[in-house]
Amino acid sequence: MTASVNLNAAEHRPSRFGRMLEDRLPYLIVAPAILILLLVGLFPLIYSLVVSFQRITMTESDTSFAGLLNYAELFRDTRLWASLGHTAIITAISLPLELLVGFLMAQLFIDRMPGRQIFVALLVLPTVISPIVAGATWRLMFDVRFGPIGQILSFFAGEPVRILWTVNPAYVYPAIIICEVWQWSPFMFLLLLAALSNVDQSQLEAAEIDGASYLRVLRAIVLPAIAPVIAVACLIRGLDLVRIFDIIWALTEGGPGSTTETISLYTYVQGFSQFETSYTAAISFLVIALLTLITTLVLKRMELAR
Amino acid sequence: MKFRTFLAAAAVLALAASSAPAADKDAADTAVEAAKKYAGTTISIVWEAGLQSLDPLNYSGPQWEKLTGIKVKVVEVPTDQMFTKIVQDFKSGAGAYDALNVIPSWMPDLARAGALEPLDKYVDKFGYRDELQDIAAAYRDNQMQYDGKIYGFPDDGDVMLLYYRKDIFEDPKMKDDFKAKFGYELAPPKDWKQFDEIGQFITDKMAPKVYGAGFFRTAPYPQYMFQERFRMEGGKFFNADTMKASVNSDVGLKVFKQMLAENKFMPPGVEQWNFVDNLAAFLQGTTAMTISWPPYGRWAAGYGSGEEALKWVPKSQVAGKVGYALTPLGRPELGVGFDLSVSATSKNKEAAYLFIQWLNSKKTSLERVQLPYTLRDPFRFSHYASEKYRALWPDAPAYLDTIKTSGEKGLLDLSLLQQDKYDEAMTKAISSLWAGEDPKAILDRMAQQFDAITEKVGIENQKAVYKVWAAKPGAYPQ
Repeated sequence: MTASVNLNAAEHRPSRFGRMLEDRLPYLIVAPAILILLLVGLFPLIYSLVVSFQRITMTESDTSFAGLLNYAELFRDTRLWASLGHTAIITAISLPLELLVGFLMAQLFIDRMPGRQIFVALLVLPTVISPIVAGATWRLMFDVRFGPIGQILSFFAGEPVRILWTVNPAYVYPAIIICEVWQWSPFMFLLLLAALSNVDQSQLEAAEIDGASYLRVLRAIVLPAIAPVIAVACLIRGLDLVRIFDIIWALTEGGPGSTTETISLYTYVQGFSQFETSYTAAISFLVIALLTLITTLVLKRMELAR
Repeated sequence: MKFRTFLAAAAVLALAASSAPAADKDAADTAVEAAKKYAGTTISIVWEAGLQSLDPLNYSGPQWEKLTGIKVKVVEVPTDQMFTKIVQDFKSGAGAYDALNVIPSWMPDLARAGALEPLDKYVDKFGYRDELQDIAAAYRDNQMQYDGKIYGFPDDGDVMLLYYRKDIFEDPKMKDDFKAKFGYELAPPKDWKQFDEIGQFITDKMAPKVYGAGFFRTAPYPQYMFQERFRMEGGKFFNADTMKASVNSDVGLKVFKQMLAENKFMPPGVEQWNFVDNLAAFLQGTTAMTISWPPYGRWAAGYGSGEEALKWVPKSQVAGKVGYALTPLGRPELGVGFDLSVSATSKNKEAAYLFIQWLNSKKTSLERVQLPYTLRDPFRFSHYASEKYRALWPDAPAYLDTIKTSGEKGLLDLSLLQQDKYDEAMTKAISSLWAGEDPKAILDRMAQQFDAITEKVGIENQKAVYKVWAAKPGAYPQ
């Protein structure tokens, strides 16, 4: 049987061209898709890179080559570095908080209980709201005259509490972080709930029989099991936080002054309010470079790059 | 020979009569007649999104189509994106827009870039020059031309007015107590010292029911108030010889400190107030004085309160109790405004021009400034004098008279190359002021930012533009 098959194969051996075609057929099939992807994805990137080396502004007709002028300007721009600092502060505080709150919520809901699905659906609601709407809603919540937060605080304090959440520099970051954590902790919750549901029950039962404490079970079994999910969740949310725009725009517009101006807001201001097209492109490439570096380091650290 | 001479003279007269019909005709009718040859075409016009757009969408656009057969496509754009959209269209050469709404302080940038069509030839061709004289001088002389050419028709009498509660100011007990305390009559304040004394007095007497005053304090509005006060107190934005910013002078510091101190007699949280917050407080009777644009006065009188589009405006609790006055020191900021222009890349320039001439004409504009929902304010002498307008509510004559005087005395917004950048620096500075930062440090930073912008634009370029601007009668108080 085997011999006859081989014989038939030898008889129908394709020509050299046919073999070449056969070898390269997969590439030929995906080539149009790759070409389109390159055109759609890569072309704008290359174009904006070219723009970043020019002198284009919306109000001038000069489009000459500027060399590294725009990139050199980046290092002198204190407002840019301040905005990166503001972004880092918001990310460094919000991300762990979202993770912690999401994890605690997931722990609460890991056990099956009546109405669990309804509660989970309700808890996830903030994530489906547009961030600009969330920001606008929280702006009202923080309003010094009508906002419920001031009224609740006044109730407990026994006297009028008038905090200018979006004006007073001491409160603007808490305001942004509260809004951010409110909106995105449910995202962490969903991912972690799914991860916790998949932790090996037999290991948990064995630990329980051995009398291991909650913290020991958490450290030795649960966290290692859900670590990859935590890593991915942190990466997704971390990148989102670096791009944070809508919530801050609705709450403070980067103010007071430029106190809460993040890199996205600053890029927007430079591009669409100050019309510095080439300089904005240079800022974008700086951000891309920083993000690529950070993402690579994080992935390497979490051993997810493999 | 005599007969020949007679024929020649008759021919010349006939020609003259036929070639200059527009000068004697109503500019609106002239525009309609001339535009009929473009029947069937569509022109697009960039208009501020929201309430403003209800005018061309529901009122003037359909009317124009009925009169001329030209369709009007309204491109609604939020104010902060209008400049970008106009420039993008011009740079791409797409010619997507025919007519434009332009904020006057953008005119130097847009005209210099070549994005606006010079209008003089159309003005003469369609006999509009005479009617332009009916536009109040502050707008006509300052918001229409760049480099000696007409690039737009002022179309909105934006000017700040002081509104005050007549019932409180005329209350005999309040009057007596005030006079006893300060030695002068309780009346609309003539300067900022009086404003502060009156504001604090009313707050002390009536808060929390009524506070002495309330202002909008969030971006971008307060920078117009700063521009006005700074100049009225004697400040200069720049040294005209060096173009070095001089906003961080003693005058700047005085104005900043006063502005900050005034928040203390205004309602708690005033630092967060925007246009609507301030409007609501005044219309609900919780502030005794405020400064804002003319729509506040109409709405406070209850004008247009039945309009569907104005449902968001709180019902006025102070109708019949509101007085109108010049802002302290007597020269209010004109504050933004709108011009009607034609895009340089338009494929229907003449049709677009005729549309804006018709919109801007004495006849049509009078109808448009009476629309309660569109935020277009009176800007012609004929608007101020209109019997129809003056009969709209009992205090309308006083309202129109105050707008007229304010328009005559109005101070121009600073208008330089890349003005948006200077505006942003002022806006950010004022926002830092409310946050409690040191006023001197804020002003020094603002001056540094001004200098950096000037340097980038080119000191000599900017100096030339500034000199032209500063020489206008509405730039600095003489």
